[in-house]
Amino acid sequence: MSAANPYAIIPATIYEIIEESPTIRTLRLRPQTAIPFRTGQFIELSVPNVGEGPFTPSSSHFISEVMDVTIMKAGFVTDYVHRLKIGDTVGLRGPYGKSYPIEKFEGRDILIMGGGVGMAPTRSLFLTLLDELDKYRSITFLAGARTPGDMIYKYQIEEWRQIEKVNFIRAVDRVPDGQVWNEHVCLITKLLNQIHIDPHDNPVIVCGPPVMMKFGTFDLLKYGYAPKDIYLSMEKKMYCGFGQCRHCVIGPYYACKDGPVFTYEMIQNEENIWE
Amino acid sequence: MIIHSHSLIAFLKQCRENGLGGFSQVIIPRLSLKNSTDSFFSSQFPPETYHLDGYRPVDPLRLLFYFPREQVFPAAANSGKRLIVGVKACDLKALLLLDKALMGPDFVDPNYRYWRENSIIVSSDCTAIAPTCHCTLVGGQPFATRGFDLNLTRIGDEYLLSTGSPVGEELLNLIRSQAELRSPTEEDRKRIQNQQNQMIERLQEQNRPYERTINAARLREAPLEKWLRDAKPCIGCGGCTNICPTCYCLILNDESKGTDFVKVRSTDSCQWHGYARVAGGASPRPKMVERFRNRYLCKFDYMPSNFDELGCTGCGRCTEVCAAEIDFREVLRAALSQTQADSVNN
Repeated sequence: MSAANPYAIIPATIYEIIEESPTIRTLRLRPQTAIPFRTGQFIELSVPNVGEGPFTPSSSHFISEVMDVTIMKAGFVTDYVHRLKIGDTVGLRGPYGKSYPIEKFEGRDILIMGGGVGMAPTRSLFLTLLDELDKYRSITFLAGARTPGDMIYKYQIEEWRQIEKVNFIRAVDRVPDGQVWNEHVCLITKLLNQIHIDPHDNPVIVCGPPVMMKFGTFDLLKYGYAPKDIYLSMEKKMYCGFGQCRHCVIGPYYACKDGPVFTYEMIQNEENIWE
Repeated sequence: MIIHSHSLIAFLKQCRENGLGGFSQVIIPRLSLKNSTDSFFSSQFPPETYHLDGYRPVDPLRLLFYFPREQVFPAAANSGKRLIVGVKACDLKALLLLDKALMGPDFVDPNYRYWRENSIIVSSDCTAIAPTCHCTLVGGQPFATRGFDLNLTRIGDEYLLSTGSPVGEELLNLIRSQAELRSPTEEDRKRIQNQQNQMIERLQEQNRPYERTINAARLREAPLEKWLRDAKPCIGCGGCTNICPTCYCLILNDESKGTDFVKVRSTDSCQWHGYARVAGGASPRPKMVERFRNRYLCKFDYMPSNFDELGCTGCGRCTEVCAAEIDFREVLRAALSQTQADSVNN
C-alpha cells in the first residue's frame, strides 16, 4: 500500500437496499474494482460531500466483486446513508485492520454473539465460516436485539437453522404491543444459560453495543472462557483507517491497525475500553 | 567551511530574489516585531529581517510539511524545491518522529512525502533560549547533530557550515561559487565547543526545578487526582496540540464534487471534546482532565511505544501558547513525582 495514495477512493454503486429495521439498512454495493478483504476487516465508506465512517462488511470474504454493508442510523454520516437510493454512488477505501483469525478457529466449537447492528460484522464471519464449514466443529450464534422489529437478517434465519452443526439462538429484550415473537425474551448475555459449549480452548466472538460488550465479556469470563479466547470488535472512531489520525488509540494500540478485533487479554488493562 | 554572515545573507538574497539554485521558495525565520526576539517562518520578507540565530520560531516546522488544511486525494502538494533556513534542533527532532509516523512501512502520506522530498533544510544552532525552552529535559540539545542538509554555527560575525547530506554538499558547492569561504581553525573549534557547552548550561540552569527522570510507567500510574490540579485552569482550546511540532492528528473532510471524490485533511486536537466521540455519543475521554492527561501520555508513553521516539522535543511552544498559563514542565514534574507531598512542595 505504501506506494499508492492511502486516501484514494474507489467508487461503488448501490445495486440493492434491504431495509432491515426502522433504523438499520443493508447497502449492497458493486465497487468499480473488486475490494478483497478478510472477514473482520473494515472499510471506510464515504457519502460524497458529507463525510465517511468505518464499517465492517457483513458479507462473506469469499465474495469481493460485491459487498454488503449493514448500517445503523446513528449520527451525521449515517443519517445521509439512510437517504441514499439504488443507483447512487458511494466511495470506499480499505480494507483496513486485522481480520478474525479464522485459522485459529479450525476444529473448534465457535461461539458468536452479535447484538443489534453488531450482528453485521459477525454475519460476515458467520457466512465466511459457512463457506468452509467442514473445517469447524460447530457454530453457535447468539443474536440479540431490543425488539423483534429491531432484529436484522430475519429473512435468512430459517435457511441458517437448516444447516447442520449450526445452532442459532435469538433473544429480544422486550416485545412491544402489536409485535409477535416466539423465541427468547431476555438479554443476549442470558442466552449463555441455553448453550453447552466447553469454554476451554474454544473461541467466542463478540460484537454489539458497548454495554453488551462489557457485561457480555464479564459473563463469558464467569462461564469459563479465558481472556485470550474472547474476541472483541472494538469499534472506535477510526477516521483514517491506517494508524495516522490517532483518534482510535487504545493505550499503545490503534483500534484501526492492531484491531478492530482484539482479544480481551490484549486490552483488559487499558482504560475506558468499553466507552 | 566558514562564511561571513554578510556573504551568507547575500547568498540567500540571490536565492530568493534572483532564482539562484532554482528554489521555488526560500523560507527563513523573520523577527515578528522590531524589539522582539520572537520569529516566524516566512518566505515573504527581505533580508534585513532574516533571523538565523536566536531560538526556535514561534511556529513549528511541522506546519511547513503538514499543513493545517491540505487536499490529500487527489494529492495536491506541488510547489517545486524549497529551501528552508534557520531550523532549530527541536524541530528537526520532531521531523524524525513525523517521518516514522507519516512515511512508515504501512502507509505513506502523499503530501508529507512530497514536501519532505522537495525541501532542503538548513539548520542553525541556538544562540539564545526562550523562557519555555527545555530540550535538555527530554534528551535534546540546542544544536542539531543529524537530520539537516546543512547546518550553521554562529561564531562572531561568521558561520561554520557543516554538511549533513549529499544535497547539503551540493548546496555548499553553490555557496562556494558565490562567496569566499575559509577553513575553520583549532581556535574556532574550541570557541564553538565553549558556546555549545554554555548554551546547554543555560538550559540546564533554567530547567533545574523541573528535572525528573522520564518514566512512562510512572506517568501512566499517576492517579487522575494528581492531574486534576494542573488540568483545572485548562480551557481545552487545543492551542498546545496545534502548535506542537510532533502533533499530527487529523480529520478527513469529504469535499467531493458530485461523485468526483475529494478528501481534505485538517488537523484535529485530542483536547477537544468531539475528538474521539463516536456516532451515538460515546467518548473514551469525556472529561477535560482525561483529555489533558492524554496529551502527556501520548508524548511520553504512546508515541515512544509506536515510534521509539519521545513525542516531546522540548521546544516549549505549548507552554508559550497556553491561554491558561499552564507550564508543561511543571505538569510533567508533578505527575512524575512519587508522592502527593512531593508534587506540591518540591
